[in-house]
Amino acid sequence: MSTDETVVWQALQDVQDPEFPVSIVDLGLIYGVRVTDARVDVEMTLTSMGCPCAHWIVEDVQERLGQLPGVSDVAVEVVWDPPWTRDRITAAGREALRGGGVSA
Amino acid sequence: MIAEQDLIQRLADGAMIETPAQMSEGYLRELKRTLLISADTEFLGAVMHWPNLMNRRVPERFDRALLAIIQDELGHAHIDYRMLADLGEDIDALMYGREPRQFKHPYAMDMPYENFAESVVVGAFMDRAGYILLSDIFETTSYLPWRRALVKVNKEEHFHINFGVRTLRALAAGADTRPVLQRAIDWMFPMTVEWFGLPDERKTHDMQLTYRLKGKTNDTLRQIWLGQIVPLVEELGLHIPAHFDAAEGRYVLDFHLPCAFDEAEKHWHLDEPVSWDDVIRRWKGRGPWNERLVECLQSGRRSIDAMRVAA
Repeated sequence: MSTDETVVWQALQDVQDPEFPVSIVDLGLIYGVRVTDARVDVEMTLTSMGCPCAHWIVEDVQERLGQLPGVSDVAVEVVWDPPWTRDRITAAGREALRGGGVSA
Repeated sequence: MIAEQDLIQRLADGAMIETPAQMSEGYLRELKRTLLISADTEFLGAVMHWPNLMNRRVPERFDRALLAIIQDELGHAHIDYRMLADLGEDIDALMYGREPRQFKHPYAMDMPYENFAESVVVGAFMDRAGYILLSDIFETTSYLPWRRALVKVNKEEHFHINFGVRTLRALAAGADTRPVLQRAIDWMFPMTVEWFGLPDERKTHDMQLTYRLKGKTNDTLRQIWLGQIVPLVEELGLHIPAHFDAAEGRYVLDFHLPCAFDEAEKHWHLDEPVSWDDVIRRWKGRGPWNERLVECLQSGRRSIDAMRVAA
């Protein structure tokens, strides 16, 4: 039984930016997910190429998705096209950032 | 400015303070003193990881994270010095006009941190200590500008703790890194216990509490910290000289606090009690890297000034 893509998106909501407690989904970092049997492919970006926590975020995505039932393989590809901009932050993300004293 | 007794009554009634006009002279003095400790702690906190970075003792995958932490700490220091400027102090004089020993940061920050494990324990133990102290101020402080400033500061401190805990787990899992991590814990645990200051029985009249600048006593804050650190270290199977005493319902240390410290060897003589007066003397004498670290922070500015004069 393969995992539903909706379940993957929900699981990714649990992964926070290590630098600031806001979900990477709400930051708009996830470009797409694809489920093929027991494998999950994630295409994502980072807010900058010099992101201090690039590998943490990728590891956190792999760890969280690896916990999903039926998933045995998680492949994360970090892409820079299209480039991330603040416009990608969701309303919930903006709210979380504002709550932490950061304007977005 | 208002009279001391009027202010104390207002604070007891829950009043919040926004401007110097609403303060007494005593409140303004204590607020500035407390802010300066916070500012200096953030400022010196920015160089704790610097020797490890400069000497390439940080694994490449973590060097940018440490640089980001340094940037955060400088930002926090700026927020604190800026609040002091709003209260009439001169930021330049505070940052660049003081001698190293006049800075008010904890003694722990005058120590050299000389391997990656020590940077890790700075994050896991010391940033958590800072976070606990600042969270108490955030929840309690009567000075509203500080409370507003701490919203962002505390969120960023989470990142520093995340770094510490994540890397602590990683080093604990490595056969070659585990002994180095244990050595770092051995000297940095008592040092952070000490960070919370004198025991309550020695601090009978704490104006920070009277003015509601903070809410919890030193021993209460120390217990909160022990309650987070001791289980974490025990879970990783590492040794820590403290345990939860079920009968007393609190964490107790397995050594005499305070005890003798050999700063050259970074070694505590856990079975060699000293007095708090001895500790205060050590604190006032500052630690071995006090001058070097303050110089590191002030030297850039001095070079620019020298160039200006030459031009």
